Amino acid sequence: MTFGQYIRKRMHEFDWFYLLFALLLATAGLIAIYSIEFQQEAERTYFGRQVVWVVFGSILMVATYLIPRKLVHNLAYIAYGLGVLSLGALLVLGRGASVSRWINFGSLGVQPSEFMKVLLLVSLARYFADHKRQLTSVKELMTPAAMTLLPMLLVLMQPDLGTALVYIATLIVVIFWAGIRPLYFFLLLAPMISMLASFQTLSFFIWMAILLVMLWLGRMPLWTSIINFTINIMLGGVTNLLWGLLKPYQQQRILSMFNAEADPLGAGYQLSQSLTAFGSGGPFGKGFGQGTQTHLKFLPEQHTDFIMTVIGEEFGFLGVTLVIAVFYLLFARLVNQAYSSKYRFDSVVLIGVTGILVFHSFVNLGMIVGIMPVTGIPLPFISYGGSFMFTSMILLGLAANMSTSYRAAG
Amino acid sequence: MLQGKNIVEGWRSLVLHIALALLLLVLILRYYNLMIAQHEKYVERAAANHIRAVPVAASRGVIFDRRGNLIVDNIPSYTVSVIPIELRHNPESLQQLAQIMDVEVGEIQRRIEKNRRGAFTPAKVFSRVPFQKISLLQEHRLELVGVTYSIEPIRNYLMETDMSHVLGYTREINRDDLERLGEGSDYQPGDQVGWKGLEKGYESDLHGTRGFRYLEVNALGQEIGEVEGRRPISPVPGNDLVLTIDPILQKAAEEALGDSSGSILIMDHSNGEVLAYASRPGYDLEMLSGKISQAAWTAIISDPRKPLYDRTIQGLYPAGSTLKPIAALYSLNHFEDALERSYTCRGSYRLGNRSFGCWKTGGHGKVQLVRAIQQSCNVYFYNLIQDIGLDEWAALAMDFGLGVVTGIDVPEENKGTIPTVRYMNQKYGVKRWTKGNLLNIVVGQGDILVTPLQLAQYAGIIAQRGVRFQPHLVQFIQDKDDRILRELAMTGEEVVTATDSSWRTLQHAMWLVVNGKEGTAKSARQKDWDIYGKTGTAQNPHGEDHAWFVGFSLDPQRPWSWAVLVENGGGGGGIAAPMLGRTLRNAVRRGA
Repeated sequence: MTFGQYIRKRMHEFDWFYLLFALLLATAGLIAIYSIEFQQEAERTYFGRQVVWVVFGSILMVATYLIPRKLVHNLAYIAYGLGVLSLGALLVLGRGASVSRWINFGSLGVQPSEFMKVLLLVSLARYFADHKRQLTSVKELMTPAAMTLLPMLLVLMQPDLGTALVYIATLIVVIFWAGIRPLYFFLLLAPMISMLASFQTLSFFIWMAILLVMLWLGRMPLWTSIINFTINIMLGGVTNLLWGLLKPYQQQRILSMFNAEADPLGAGYQLSQSLTAFGSGGPFGKGFGQGTQTHLKFLPEQHTDFIMTVIGEEFGFLGVTLVIAVFYLLFARLVNQAYSSKYRFDSVVLIGVTGILVFHSFVNLGMIVGIMPVTGIPLPFISYGGSFMFTSMILLGLAANMSTSYRAAG
Repeated sequence: MLQGKNIVEGWRSLVLHIALALLLLVLILRYYNLMIAQHEKYVERAAANHIRAVPVAASRGVIFDRRGNLIVDNIPSYTVSVIPIELRHNPESLQQLAQIMDVEVGEIQRRIEKNRRGAFTPAKVFSRVPFQKISLLQEHRLELVGVTYSIEPIRNYLMETDMSHVLGYTREINRDDLERLGEGSDYQPGDQVGWKGLEKGYESDLHGTRGFRYLEVNALGQEIGEVEGRRPISPVPGNDLVLTIDPILQKAAEEALGDSSGSILIMDHSNGEVLAYASRPGYDLEMLSGKISQAAWTAIISDPRKPLYDRTIQGLYPAGSTLKPIAALYSLNHFEDALERSYTCRGSYRLGNRSFGCWKTGGHGKVQLVRAIQQSCNVYFYNLIQDIGLDEWAALAMDFGLGVVTGIDVPEENKGTIPTVRYMNQKYGVKRWTKGNLLNIVVGQGDILVTPLQLAQYAGIIAQRGVRFQPHLVQFIQDKDDRILRELAMTGEEVVTATDSSWRTLQHAMWLVVNGKEGTAKSARQKDWDIYGKTGTAQNPHGEDHAWFVGFSLDPQRPWSWAVLVENGGGGGGIAAPMLGRTLRNAVRRGA
């Protein structure tokens, strides 16, 4: 088969659903960005750039789709290694000045930690495809856990808490999908819940009781149960210590989530402004270009992390529900594709793509209305910005790639 | 379609579907709650966000001297700003502005870019615009769409004296200070802040608190007008300073000092009030307040006479013979034969193979304590210090306020150096310094460094028989209604203890310095009243000697103490003492 034939065959199989949905969401973002810059003449710099990102991103999506899936599988580890190296290089080079999240190629800034999301996913997928483990013992989780922890530590040093959480979310979803026993999955999540619960005495005791019951029901060996239980108690205990290690701005962001209105000009400022813009939008919004909160620049970062508040203010409940519906259709379809896949590698990649995109969407959409902390996580396809647009498009390109292999098999 | 066995159990897929649906449902419910259930509340809140608080600057407190003369106040300075978006719609208005202001259009555009904070916010393009230009702009205001001007108060100086080092100047606050002060502070970019002198030391009193006007803005950010029903908050002007400076003494001191580099500081030793604070060279306050051109700044910085350097509190000099009374007082306190013991001066003193000279080459002959001070005989003190010891001498010198800051309310005071055994060991190494260093120290040379302010305070402590009053320049702070908010009255503190007869002896010796037949400061003598003093000629490794004259008066009408320093002036008796004599004679004649 010549190269031209290959391309033609693959494009024939291409599932346009993914590109269509990506462009639908990107259009919502472009409308919001256009509205922010409405009436500002000659200052429409964000809009123009975002159009470029979307076009390049679409091309990247198709290009990713066209990579033979065998190659994706075979190059996964090498690419992962290169990704870790560039993260490390960033730390070393960035030292002296403030630590940077960007590597500059010409005028185009690139964030390695963004692309690491993709690279981590394909290497995890390859690991679970190559070793058809049943995930019945802790040992079998060591390698994937290490694979995730390494880039996580590197981005934490930047420090970028949000991206580190994305890596963890990816690992959790992939492990669940790869067939971990429910009890193990529960025990894996338990330490995180212990840490969260430890902020309040009563909730901590209730959680510890639940944990004990689960350990008993799971008929775990006695000593494993004791070790597990001790680890959870200790983790709960040192959480306060870990809390002290967070940067003050990160603490503030998490705290302001619980009570934004107590401190409207400090850490809760963004949130309280975001709530006002959102709530004043009402059922149908104030109309395109009419959002007073948007245009008076009361809202910081409105074109990036807080872009959904612009849609909320100008297009109301109807507008945001529509956007969420589009997200839902996309995500549900991805889960179905993952379930139907006949290949382990494809299936894991598909579910990982879903996990990463759902995590971003939920954290971002929850953050702007105060049910998630303000962590600086953008909204896929909608937020302004090149790096994350590319990552999202590449992720969907991978998904399309893995979906057709299923169809070809079927 | 092939019905092969799926590689993932069905329940896992179901769990994820449910989780996905639940997450999105939570979001929808929260959105519903905000946008439908609480809609009204947030509409109100959004309306409140239409109001823009526009700051109104507070005027800076003014400054009076002790006779109630206004010496520093504020005058309006005009700033021209443009609204970028309106200028873009009206290019001819930009042309017109450039023509009136005599600059290139490109220059204005460059300044707009530099200072812009949004399309609708006025951007500063010209500051300190002369009034004629403002009236021209006013004339053409209909053609000048998008051009506005505002009035900002700047400092205006009314005194006849220099006083640059006392008052200091203000400057636009810089980014570092703004960051240090944090969000809650009353300062904004562009605010003036005290940078030197009293303007800096009393910044928090002088600054005042800004007020706010509330303007309604439309969805494009353009101001519509004052908000009805919301009263503006008036700015609270800064508080006023009333100084201890007596303009008559200040002027007389500045005149006497003339163009010499140096300092004359006169204070009231009975309460610490500084009456005259002449530091030369000074600088042009008008030029340094607010904006200054790069060239003018470079000229000031590179001036070899260092006009920004306040000699009175920052200048560090060897004290010369002015410190001899310290060893004398120690002797009076500790040695029973203090008055009788005598040493013979043959014009120099031999220590090992080194010779230490007295200023009088022929020698003073047989010298006792009182005559040793009156004639400033070095050889007497070379002998005496060997019975005292360095640490004992240094402890007494520090009690007299040397080697420590006086705590005056002008910032950036230097504390100088009084060497102790520990200090000498650290500097030269144990046993690496000799008795020779000790001999230098007793006559105020070697490692000793003092400021003129410290010596004036030291003379005052001798006048007060051991009691120190902290020197200060502000008598009290008052508000705009002349209510006194804070008084800086100082209570005296006994820092040196000695018997009455010891003090009397010391003061008598210092009286003889001015009034005795053989005194070194006869040229400082006053007609109808007595002054006391001690001259000093400080050897200076870098050039001519520095001339000193320190002293005091015990006249109840004029309880003054002083220090006169003339950099590279030569002899204390020949240069510094007559300067002080002239200062006092002129001041008294003019009514001080």
